[in-house]
Amino acid sequence: MKKTMTISVLAASVALGLGVSGAAFAAKIPAGTPLAAKQEIVRNNGSEAESLDPAIAESVGANNLVRDLFEGLTATDNEGRVVPGVAESWKQKDPTTWVFTLRKNAKWSDGSSVTADDFVYGIRRFLDPKTASTYATTYGAFLLNGVEAAEGKKPVSDVGVKALDKFTLEIKTPYPVAFLPEVVSNGQLGPAPKAAIDKFGKDWVKPGNMVSNGAFVLKEWQVNSKVVLAKNPQYWDNKNVQLTRVTYLPIEDGFADVKMFLSGENDWVYQLPPGTYEKYKAELPKDIRNAPMLGLRYYGLNHKDPVMKDVRVRKALSMVIDRDILAAKITADGQVPAYSAIVRGTSGADVTSYDWAKWPMAQRVAEAKKLLAAAGLKPGSKVKFSYNTSEYHKKMAIFAASEWKTKLGLNTELENMEFKVLLKKRHDGDYQIGRNGWVADYNDASTFLTLVQCGSEQNDNFNCNPKAEALIKQGNQAQNPAQRKQLLTQATKLIMDDYPMIPLLQYTVPRLVKSYVGGYTTKNPMDRYRSKDLYIIKH
Amino acid sequence: MLFRSQQKAVAEAMAANLSMAAVEGRSPWADARERFLRNKAAVVSLILLSLVVLACVFGPMLLPHSYEDTDWDAMAMAPTWYNLHLFGTDDLGRDLLVRTLIGGRISLMVGLMATIASVTIGIVWGATAGFLGGKVDTVMMRIVDMMYAVPYLLIAILMVTLLGREFYLVVLTITVFSWMDMARVVRGQTLSVKSKEFVEAARAIGVSTGSIIFRHVVPNLLGIVVIYTTVTVPGVILTESVLSFLGLGVQEPMTSWGVLIEDGTGVMETTPWMLLFPAAMLSLTLYCANYIGDGMRDALDPKDR
Amino acid sequence: MWSYALRRVLMTIPTLLLVITVCYLMLHATPGGPFDTERKVSAAVMANLQAKYHLDLPLWQQYLLYLKSLLQGDLGASFRYADWSVNELVGNALPVSLAIGGGALLLSVIIGVALGIVAALRQNSLIDYFVMLVGNLGSAFPSFVIGPVLILLFAIWLSVLPAGGWNDFDPRYMVLPIALLTFINVSTIGRVMRGSLIEVLNSNFIRTARAKGLPLSTIVFRHALKPALMPVVSVLGPLAISSITSAVVTESVFSLPGLGKLIINGASNRDYTLVLGLVVLVTVFAVILNLLVDLAYAYLDPKIRY
Repeated sequence: MKKTMTISVLAASVALGLGVSGAAFAAKIPAGTPLAAKQEIVRNNGSEAESLDPAIAESVGANNLVRDLFEGLTATDNEGRVVPGVAESWKQKDPTTWVFTLRKNAKWSDGSSVTADDFVYGIRRFLDPKTASTYATTYGAFLLNGVEAAEGKKPVSDVGVKALDKFTLEIKTPYPVAFLPEVVSNGQLGPAPKAAIDKFGKDWVKPGNMVSNGAFVLKEWQVNSKVVLAKNPQYWDNKNVQLTRVTYLPIEDGFADVKMFLSGENDWVYQLPPGTYEKYKAELPKDIRNAPMLGLRYYGLNHKDPVMKDVRVRKALSMVIDRDILAAKITADGQVPAYSAIVRGTSGADVTSYDWAKWPMAQRVAEAKKLLAAAGLKPGSKVKFSYNTSEYHKKMAIFAASEWKTKLGLNTELENMEFKVLLKKRHDGDYQIGRNGWVADYNDASTFLTLVQCGSEQNDNFNCNPKAEALIKQGNQAQNPAQRKQLLTQATKLIMDDYPMIPLLQYTVPRLVKSYVGGYTTKNPMDRYRSKDLYIIKH
Repeated sequence: MLFRSQQKAVAEAMAANLSMAAVEGRSPWADARERFLRNKAAVVSLILLSLVVLACVFGPMLLPHSYEDTDWDAMAMAPTWYNLHLFGTDDLGRDLLVRTLIGGRISLMVGLMATIASVTIGIVWGATAGFLGGKVDTVMMRIVDMMYAVPYLLIAILMVTLLGREFYLVVLTITVFSWMDMARVVRGQTLSVKSKEFVEAARAIGVSTGSIIFRHVVPNLLGIVVIYTTVTVPGVILTESVLSFLGLGVQEPMTSWGVLIEDGTGVMETTPWMLLFPAAMLSLTLYCANYIGDGMRDALDPKDR
Repeated sequence: MWSYALRRVLMTIPTLLLVITVCYLMLHATPGGPFDTERKVSAAVMANLQAKYHLDLPLWQQYLLYLKSLLQGDLGASFRYADWSVNELVGNALPVSLAIGGGALLLSVIIGVALGIVAALRQNSLIDYFVMLVGNLGSAFPSFVIGPVLILLFAIWLSVLPAGGWNDFDPRYMVLPIALLTFINVSTIGRVMRGSLIEVLNSNFIRTARAKGLPLSTIVFRHALKPALMPVVSVLGPLAISSITSAVVTESVFSLPGLGKLIINGASNRDYTLVLGLVVLVTVFAVILNLLVDLAYAYLDPKIRY
């Protein structure tokens, strides 16, 4: 609860244009902490980065690397707070105009200055249809003419990004975007080294060619084996960077990951495999770390389906799933029960819930049975559940099927499939109940609302509530963050009362990080750790 | 006329004798049985395997649990007399003994059917290519080479998408991946057998090609075929679990040994019985199959006295 | 024989063309495209991506474009690994796979043949049963079980070897993966060798040699070994293909950057060019290996002529 407060208060203060002074915000090492002589770390990154080009990076892993190699106008620190990056301060001149003042000592790794023009070039390149970035319309939506440029309807020069002088950047948004300072911390909206890109083309991201402006530079990259970064001597804040060498591993197999952690080849397990959290919590209490993050596990309900079309059926299915047992016994890794499309810790809206969430289960079941009977769905009816194969999803699916069977008498046909096949079915509306999940791209309610908004790409439920849609539109135009928050919360409540989906659990990141890795906090709702904020304690 | 047909009959008999060496008066099958029984490991294996099969077929009917019933109060329990969970329970509280036996039905059935299918195709393909040689051999063998390169993941996904999830498709898909090795082995041996005297004798007197291949060549390959068949079995049984991962084949709550073992491997340090029992059943079966295979090879070997 | 070998090498071209065409059609028939992810991209972005990779062209045109670049030795750009060309990816993974797969193959031939000989000479004795019990470990337990057990034993309990990863052909990182692959292959080679040697030892010419009183070692190594190796050589082709190009489980258990990993990631990401590139590689591999096997036949059995 407290965490929610700090984050939203901070977001609000930033949004109000208070700005932040240019003090250094890195690796705040508690006084008296002895540091190890060897400041090196090995982090598993979960999978091989699809690209190190900040404009193209899409996955969590690729963005982790981009955050170390490049620095945007702002950054987020190890507690998820927005801190100055290349910009030392910023102002919201009017509701849709922001002015960022860049620090003059920010340098590329080749020694040249990072200028406002580098940002203009970087952002235009990111939105350029030829670059074909998958995030182009996601982040482009926050820039004036951004989406139009990404769609090729307007030239990229029309995008609302302008260099007022060498060290002053102006960004115009299509509507008041209170959380813009956080959005611009993403590498996609960062600077790009034009000279290197022109010289090497696609190969500019290879070791030896890459010019970057982050706390680290690219030293070595072996596909599917490792990426090695070294401290960047040209970085403006390099005296506050402790690590000299960061090795990222691309291990996908969770068990292999843990084994390398246990044998000492890896300091950072990307994510514990299902069913092992309790074991390592007991065996390695100093290394185990777990904290909720901005992510939601849910089951989508296809509104095009003749059975799921009925809100009574959707409500009954959602009511009888005991999230407390699911969290405590089935997934058993500290995840938090969820009853809304928006998870705790998200700024921009309050978390809504259902009245029945507090009812005793017997009452919920009785009510759900009534709803099903009214909808004409008799016990013994069949529902079809589609999921992509993974131990985790399988366990949850068997649990849900068992809840529907024992409490409602419904027979669930479990249908597992390969991930891309499921995606296709979901996007085509060729399913009844489908496994789904979402991790926030930025800390604002709007990222979660895309899951349930009319006609949104991310809405596989195909639900639409026009009233809520109007409220969201109204909220996005609101200049007062408190008013926007109130409108978005109201809209969320309206949408959730339609039962478009079954929210189940809020993600956590159960992982092992060696106890001597300093700077790792459990207060980072986006799970974004710059290696700049990490250090190795003497051990 | 008469003379020629007589000559042909004599030569054919000669060829048959040389190939099967059935010169003694006893039935070759009685001989084979006796030789098989001489191999103690094979006999013990046959008994054990029969027990495994019987347990898988009848066991689930005799046990008090169902393979799909979850019990939130008995999750991941070690083997215990409580509630008669003799193999313990899995991490959703389902009885592991009954799941292992049910899974055995699937794995044994898949193993048997897909092995027979791929071995048959392999023999016919390899013997034909090897015996005919020339262009036919080249084309048939290049098709085999190609089959190694086609990513099985795609075949499996396409099967599910285009044809559905029927059980026979599992057998079909596994067969598609598994017949090539046998074809190569059989072809190699055919090349060497076809230059033997009895084949030349049969050819000289005009026995039809088909009948030379299947009456004279293939019987001489049975030793290596039996051995290689037992090499094929484990791959076939485990491929099934890969397919079920891709959505083809058994779906939860139904299971198979491959799926149980794969689930068990992940938790081998916390709940080892989830790996131990299914893996023990599978390897017992595979070992039995191996020893029986060796025994059958000895039994069918025409030269072994 | 050389003209035979040459003809076989030339046959690679139509074989490749056929397999590329088949896989090309299969890839495009498989549901889900390279750019479908949990975060669905907007229609405009999808159009941008398709244009970037020429996926907006009609299928036959893309197909011809692919063949054209293939003729120039260019396997195209990868979708999954956006910063790399397929040539680079294959070039990086092939040496790793060759080292692990080739090393394991060599070891398993030596061990497998030796075990087979011992078992065959002691047919149906306790030694035979025991040798086959050990030799068959690799086929009786799935590799995804043996692998983690090896890691547990050598990397975590004894901590003498790394648990996984790859470090520029550092032998310490190669021991366990090679051991795992050897385990799997030895059981096949050992069993085939045993059966085949027993058969040869019972044949007339060996019986004659025995009757003449030649020592057993002479009989085995001078006379029986060569014909007995025929079926072993037959299985070496398929074993080499699977150990080198598709050691998926081994690579995943030990986190190795080999070809198997590329194949799995390529297919599950619908990385059309990467998959086709690997199909080309494996086909060439299969054709060459099986040619070598066929030439070995002629050496082992002089009666075989092409």
